[in-house]
Amino acid sequence: MFLLFALITIIGALAMSQQKNVIVAGLCMVLTFLGVAGLFLMLSNPVAAALQVIVYSGAIMVLVLFTIMLLNSHEEEPAIQSRPIQRWVGALLIAVFGAFAFRIVMGSKALVDINTLADANTAVRPMEAMNLAKVGEEIFRHYLLGFEIVGLLLLAAMVGAVALTKKEL
Amino acid sequence: MESVAHSIGLSAVMTWTLLKVLIVFGSVMGVSSLWTWVERRGSAMLQDRIGPNRALLFGRWQLLGLPQLVADGLKFFFKEDQVPPHVTKRLYWIAPMLAFVPALIGFAVIPFGRSFSYQGALYHLSILEPGNGMGMLYPLAIGAVAVYGILVAAWSSNNKWAILGGMRASAQMVSYEISMGLAVLAIFMKVGGYDPGEIITEQAGVLWKVLPNWFIFRQPLGFLVFFVCMFAETNRLPFDFAEGESEIVAGFHTEFGSMKFALLALAEYAHMTTASALIATVYFGGWSVPFMPEAPVLLTILFFLIKLLFFMWVFVWVRWTLPRFRYDQLMFLGWKVLLPISMVNLIGNAWWMTRGGH
Repeated sequence: MFLLFALITIIGALAMSQQKNVIVAGLCMVLTFLGVAGLFLMLSNPVAAALQVIVYSGAIMVLVLFTIMLLNSHEEEPAIQSRPIQRWVGALLIAVFGAFAFRIVMGSKALVDINTLADANTAVRPMEAMNLAKVGEEIFRHYLLGFEIVGLLLLAAMVGAVALTKKEL
Repeated sequence: MESVAHSIGLSAVMTWTLLKVLIVFGSVMGVSSLWTWVERRGSAMLQDRIGPNRALLFGRWQLLGLPQLVADGLKFFFKEDQVPPHVTKRLYWIAPMLAFVPALIGFAVIPFGRSFSYQGALYHLSILEPGNGMGMLYPLAIGAVAVYGILVAAWSSNNKWAILGGMRASAQMVSYEISMGLAVLAIFMKVGGYDPGEIITEQAGVLWKVLPNWFIFRQPLGFLVFFVCMFAETNRLPFDFAEGESEIVAGFHTEFGSMKFALLALAEYAHMTTASALIATVYFGGWSVPFMPEAPVLLTILFFLIKLLFFMWVFVWVRWTLPRFRYDQLMFLGWKVLLPISMVNLIGNAWWMTRGGH
């Protein structure tokens, strides 16, 4: 199952970056999001999976595709000149970030726990499934400040968007 | 159960799940196709016409026009499968499936009867067992994905009207999802959980000694919002902008024929089934039988079916009663009327609960 969802995610992402047609690329991205939702399910976090589907594939990508359809240019434009330096910088950045992400994942507490437990030859304790109540508790007990800051940021972005698009307020 | 499971080489749990999948998908498909007939006969009744009654089974039995279903199905199957030359081929093939699959699987989380124990094992009457952590988020997520069927169908048709229809549909579904989510959120708050099973048990009992303890009586505002949003989410009249035939031919399914069109049309009816089931579950006590706390299992299934079919009839009823909205009226209704109402509903309920009310 894990391999299936991982393959869906990776193939979707690769197809998206290779696709010349912007709409098809967007649909490939939706595929990637669905694969990621499947991975969340495998991690016994159905809430994250459901929210991934509702927010990313349900709302954000629909709006993105909607805008692309309005723009009426469905093909990627060919580059005016190739920019080799940017390409190399991009590849370098991907490598650096990839390495960091890999280190963080490998050093994460859950993975270390699993490894030590496997060494000790004991049964790995079954993970408890996440539910909405727990998410809410975490947010409002431990991460309240971050939550409020994000809320403020989103509000500011919303006001900014309205101010940018409305000529006369 | 054990012996049956053994004879087909599966575990008892798997067999039960498989059985439920067969029952639910079979019923949703059956009811959806039956409702194409109900819609035609019902519209004829509402408009004082006769409706389809010419198809005869074996040239003899009229059966209220029911053989028309068989005739239509056969026609769809044997019609030439035309692919217009200007479409985006791959997406054009995928689109009907993208529309149909979410419509079908949205039902999976809804319990259609009381859980019962048999020979020491507890059986739940919903495909996804309660306590799966998805709960009511699942139908919302599936409803969010459902828009891709329309969007892909519209865009792959490569046709002005189709794209207009698809864009309208996507904008409409995204706008109405917010109000719907807020309305459901008020229910989550009241119940203190978001599993359909919990929502239904919360609605057991009696309100003010005369009414069943349903959420429609406790949150009428929320019900109003949810009900209207369901029409928008299923793309039914008065909100069927995806296929307004007087403006954009047939909208997103202009270019589709034969079985592809049948799938798109069936998807709409399957959505209607799921939406009716959701309304019944969230605001009308689901399978619970009013004034009968310990109803037998079969009676609960019967009551669920009655509620489900009633709301499906309401969908038909409304369609042939109200005219289509204008597009700006739709947006006005969604953003400036329903969203504030659902906000007021949510905050009012929260305030009421902090004051110790219930």
